[in-house]
Amino acid sequence: MAIEGTDIIQAAAFLGAGLAMGLGAIGPGVGEGMAAAKACEAIGKNPAEAGLLTRTMLVGQAVSESTGIYSLVVALLLLFVV
Amino acid sequence: MDELGYIHQLIVPFFGHELTFNIKVIAMVWIVMAILIVFALFTTRNREMVPGRMQIVGELLVTQLYALTEDALDEKLGRKLAPMICALFMFLVMSNYMGVIPFMEEPTKDLNVPLSLGIMGFVIAHFFGIKKKGLRAYVKGYMEPFFILLPLNLIGELAKVISISFRLFGNIMGGSIIILVVSHLVYSLILPPFLCFFFGLFVGTIQAFVFTMLTIVYVSVQIK
Repeated sequence: MAIEGTDIIQAAAFLGAGLAMGLGAIGPGVGEGMAAAKACEAIGKNPAEAGLLTRTMLVGQAVSESTGIYSLVVALLLLFVV
Repeated sequence: MDELGYIHQLIVPFFGHELTFNIKVIAMVWIVMAILIVFALFTTRNREMVPGRMQIVGELLVTQLYALTEDALDEKLGRKLAPMICALFMFLVMSNYMGVIPFMEEPTKDLNVPLSLGIMGFVIAHFFGIKKKGLRAYVKGYMEPFFILLPLNLIGELAKVISISFRLFGNIMGGSIIILVVSHLVYSLILPPFLCFFFGLFVGTIQAFVFTMLTIVYVSVQIK
């Protein structure tokens, strides 16, 4: 069976999807871990404000995760549309 | 696994072009609106000075969200925009919770819903920005540090809309795809309910809160 052009395009799309999601998950992981570390430190210094600190940490982590979500959208586009 | 990409559409020919309606998304949005109206009716009937149980929930939501808005914006504009922010938050929370109910899916799973809410927030922010600063100062604000940065500022405004919509869409749709794939792998045994609770309830609440907060922040940046 001969390998046609469309097969190569499919293979490249699958490879690109894997690379996009895999490499794109590094950044948000590191960033959110650093935000959580600073939040733990701040709660240790000031335990009365734990609720406000937790809420701020969650909002900061959700904003910092957005580039990871962009790479997820690119991976899904490559898998299901190409 | 084979119901992954199906969207039921109603295509209506309209003077040469065609209008496309995604039927399930529209029906889910109507269901969310009906649930919110029923909730509002139950919360505000028989109002008393010492609140009953449902009234406490309503008062909690309204007080916290109104305080959040009037904290970030100034007094008059905060009072004017607070009902919209409250409605936006309740709509997003309820529509993200719809995925937990069987046979229903979240309307925010389709890109049209978060994108339209993001564009609505963008239009509101710029409308109040022009109204407060005047057209001249508003246009001058784009050339703010140097004149060369005009394209960057324009793209920055566009990037805000795209980022706020795609964050919500990607979180909800990605969560539902992960639940579907993991359920298929585990033969729907023990894991799916916990995943549903995490991706539907926890992430849904946080993303609704982040969307609302960012809309408030964008409005407050424009009227600064």
